[in-house]
Amino acid sequence: MKLKTLLAAGAVAMSSTAAFAGCAIENTVPLKSLSAGFEAWKAVTDAMAECGNFQASLDQEFREKQPEAFAANPALYQIGGVANATMIPLLNAGSIRPLDDLVAKYGQNLTPNQLIKVDGKVMAIAMMVNAQHLMYRSDILADLGIAEPATWDEVLAAAEKIKAAGVVEYPLGGTFKTGWNLGEEFVNMYLGEGGTFIGEGNMPAINNAQGVAALETMKAMTAYMDPEYLVSDSTYVQQQFQQGKIAMANLWASRAAAMDDEAESQVVGKVAMAAAPNGSAAPASSLWWDGFVFAANMSDQEAEAAFQVAMEGIDGEMVSANNDAAVWLLNGYTPGKLAAGAAATAANGASPYPASGPMGIMHTVLGNGLADYLTGAKDAETTLADIEAAYMTAAKEAGLVK
Amino acid sequence: MKFKTFAAFIGPSVFMMLLFIAFPLVSVFQQSFYITQPIYDLVDVETCTPGFVTQTCVTETQSVPRLDEEGAIITKTDFVGLQSYRNVLELGRAWDALSSGSWAAFQSIDFWKALRFTLSFTLITLPLVICAGLGIAVMINSAAKSVRGPVIFVSLLPFIITPVIGALSINWLFRGDGILTAALEWYLQRDIAMFAQAWTIEILMMFYRVWHVAPFAAIVFYAGLQTVNQDSLESAIIDGASRWQRLKYIIIPHLMPLIVFISMIHLMDSYRVFEEIVGFSSQGHVISLQWLTYDFLVPDQAGNRSISRASASAMLTMIGIALLLVPLLRRTWRDHQGGH
Amino acid sequence: MSARALQQPLPLRLTSNVFLALWCLIAAFPIFWIMVQSFKTPVDAYDSNALNVILGPETLARGHGMSALQILLGIGAIWLTIRLASRTLPAFVRSSLNGKQQWLGWIIGALVLGVGSVVVLFGVVPWVSGVLNPMLGPLGVDVVGLTTEHYKTVWVERGFFRNFQNSLLITAGVVTISLSVGTLAGYGLARSGSKLAFWILIIALIFRALPHSVLVAGYLPVFISSSEWLAPIFGENAPTLYGKPFAVIAVLVAINQPFTIWMLRSFFQNIPAELDEAARVDGCSHFQAFRRVIMPVMWPGVITTGLFSFLLAYNDFLVTSLLLDAQNQTMVPAIAGMFNRETTTTDQVVAVAAAVSITAPLFFLVMVFQRQIVSGLTAGAVKG
Repeated sequence: MKLKTLLAAGAVAMSSTAAFAGCAIENTVPLKSLSAGFEAWKAVTDAMAECGNFQASLDQEFREKQPEAFAANPALYQIGGVANATMIPLLNAGSIRPLDDLVAKYGQNLTPNQLIKVDGKVMAIAMMVNAQHLMYRSDILADLGIAEPATWDEVLAAAEKIKAAGVVEYPLGGTFKTGWNLGEEFVNMYLGEGGTFIGEGNMPAINNAQGVAALETMKAMTAYMDPEYLVSDSTYVQQQFQQGKIAMANLWASRAAAMDDEAESQVVGKVAMAAAPNGSAAPASSLWWDGFVFAANMSDQEAEAAFQVAMEGIDGEMVSANNDAAVWLLNGYTPGKLAAGAAATAANGASPYPASGPMGIMHTVLGNGLADYLTGAKDAETTLADIEAAYMTAAKEAGLVK
Repeated sequence: MKFKTFAAFIGPSVFMMLLFIAFPLVSVFQQSFYITQPIYDLVDVETCTPGFVTQTCVTETQSVPRLDEEGAIITKTDFVGLQSYRNVLELGRAWDALSSGSWAAFQSIDFWKALRFTLSFTLITLPLVICAGLGIAVMINSAAKSVRGPVIFVSLLPFIITPVIGALSINWLFRGDGILTAALEWYLQRDIAMFAQAWTIEILMMFYRVWHVAPFAAIVFYAGLQTVNQDSLESAIIDGASRWQRLKYIIIPHLMPLIVFISMIHLMDSYRVFEEIVGFSSQGHVISLQWLTYDFLVPDQAGNRSISRASASAMLTMIGIALLLVPLLRRTWRDHQGGH
Repeated sequence: MSARALQQPLPLRLTSNVFLALWCLIAAFPIFWIMVQSFKTPVDAYDSNALNVILGPETLARGHGMSALQILLGIGAIWLTIRLASRTLPAFVRSSLNGKQQWLGWIIGALVLGVGSVVVLFGVVPWVSGVLNPMLGPLGVDVVGLTTEHYKTVWVERGFFRNFQNSLLITAGVVTISLSVGTLAGYGLARSGSKLAFWILIIALIFRALPHSVLVAGYLPVFISSSEWLAPIFGENAPTLYGKPFAVIAVLVAINQPFTIWMLRSFFQNIPAELDEAARVDGCSHFQAFRRVIMPVMWPGVITTGLFSFLLAYNDFLVTSLLLDAQNQTMVPAIAGMFNRETTTTDQVVAVAAAVSITAPLFFLVMVFQRQIVSGLTAGAVKG
């Protein structure tokens, strides 16, 4: 693990410089932010609030509000929290500002890896990455003499052995909840088969051998999963892990810390983190980032204040206080054993989530359409054909396909 | 009452309804015949995103909406007639499926799947709510005076509790190894997964709805029972009418207006069933009409939303409700005529 | 004679009572259960063995427990609260206050009782038992695992109090405006036999049947950009409606109007028209007749309708979650946010505690107003 030592070394070097308390600046400009509400954002916005005059909205509906709130003049929020995909509508509408001058002025603490560039211009500042990767019960696999699975075939074989041994209720867990989660599972699996989603002229391109292969792997997984898989989201899978009901799952890196949480987990220290299993071509996972954007519709003075406050939110102090809350991209982060899975997944060549306007539609129709295949109502080809048809209807309505 | 006085009395109320209900409704109606979309240009864009240590940069041809001088997205709006309705109804596919006699294929089309569930949900829960409500009311009425207060209080709980929380609390009892599922498993000595197939989820959702609404029906009926004419009850007893006959010929006719009232409210509320779908996360198995509308309406992660189809599906839902309500409305009309 | 003739034979009475008991169990159990969960550590709260959830061995092992004495004290305090809320308070308000004072009496009485019971349950009982426990030997030993830490997290750390205030503000606004606008309209509709009145009622009915999500999503862009399109009217000070409680109040009032005017109309229809006609003969205008003759007798119906408005505003999720931002969010969307975001099991139990917290005021309300609901409905607020 060369990269780990490298990062750790960098972290130690940085943390010595960031040892002052609270916030280094005193903010006098009223600022507001709108972002999703998970732990990492909570930690960051709490740190930002120490600078004063700052109000954070950690909102489940942020996706629905953000495009309009940023398009308003002046923007209702100066700072936004986005991920790969949720940046697209803001970028398209031109409602977020390029940050090159601000980065030059106040971004000494940023690494080049954090700067999200679109056509050479810095449009967002990433603070963390997230990816689904394999978590497994090291004690169970060791007992049964199973090596760490590296491909989905090996995962399924291991699941068969675990099932035969009958040591846990269900060998596998999966975030198969209909909607976004299920769509994401297919996206991962299909990327693992080396597929592309959108073809020339925004036409759908999933009804092919890779698509069928991805579906078949998913169906094979369901045989080893809780039969209620269509309602199980990440929190539910995490709880199944904590209660010792499952032995393996491809789960989000941001959930890793919960496995070792003494207060709620019964399997502390028994869950190992590994790279996402490979499909036939690549790791079956996609890399996500979360980070800041800044509204275009605000004064330059506000922009400077907003940027500085955001930088204070992701300083070394915040990172060291919340080291395990996420896989941070920030100076001061010490990747522990919990981050090993995400790091290995990236090292194996997992691709970033292919965010784009058409992909947004594709993800939605996948999430809604796949259940019919898993419940056995349709066969794989019909399912994929129907999903492509649903995509076409929506894409035509959005004006993306002629 | 002179028109002017009448207008002054109802003015504020009508104004609020016009502003916040009628006006949006008209715009929804209008949107269902139009499609508004941005004009896209194909542009090569280089995007750099973080990896774990280094960045990945890709250059792709992307559809980027054209902006005007002020930086707003240029959109064009086209009249498309009934196209959005056709997209929602998918009549062609529905017809093919039906003519080949395949109910399963027919039920794989979103709108018809949603309509099937919405209708069966509405029509099955309606008699259950009325009967449960009536039963509870009659039982409370015949219970000892001293326990009536506490019983009414407990009965009202499911009705007053916040719907989202009520649905979740029932959800937890059955989800996975929830204690009631565990109890059932122990009793039947077999593995049970309540959320693994459509019909069990449907039963749970209907149970929740009856649990949630029956108290309202019960309390209304109970209030009605307080005004039953005691004289006619007594003369019925003297005529030797059995308990059942009294219920059938005196009490139920007396409660009829209330039964109509409850039915009307219940038809409207259950036809737009939505909280259950979200609370029991049943999207994978069953969906409802309002959920379908909602799903068209919420933007996906890249900000696309299907406003036109959402509008069309909302209008179709409204037509459905209007049709269901016609018999009850005709009764109201007769009352109105007779009442003055 | 009627009492004895209507008396049910024993078997029937028995069956009826058994079914009633069964119904009460079904009605109360899910709510009782989340209440139990909210007092346990995560491991116990989600245990699949019901007994473990109730007794909470893990919670006990962590040193949070209750002795037999504490349980008795707690039950006593709860019983006293119920007694006060359902008997003493209504009786006091009705007998010793009249007219407008009653309103104030209700509000102050309910508030005092609410705050008092929280203080007693979470303050006095633990304190008293802390003193007595060591003296009582076996009675003072913890037997049931129980912890109030989740409530502390919700109210102290998460600042749930702000959400509570927002909920109060919005609910109070909706109930007052909805009732004032609705009584006028209900009266007007009840006293007019015109075709217009009928059609307004029918259209209101159809409005009530509308799927809300359609309407609400339509408001969002308009509310967010309101400072731009209101600028011609208000100039520089044009408000942004998004995130403003008064805008949400207006929307909820409008959505609630159809039901309110239907309820109140049937209620007013049951007040003999001769009453206000007599006043009109004496030279009163319609408004004067309304104020002098109708207002004094309309309270049962108004209170009942008001309770339904209260429930709608207090429980609303769709409108409040979309149109308010975090600073003035009400309790329901705040809780939904706790459940939906990336959570730990502890967070979920905290959210359950929050859910129980927001149900408590509803409990109270029903306890206090229970008779008013029934009598209001009996007096004819629902005649179809």
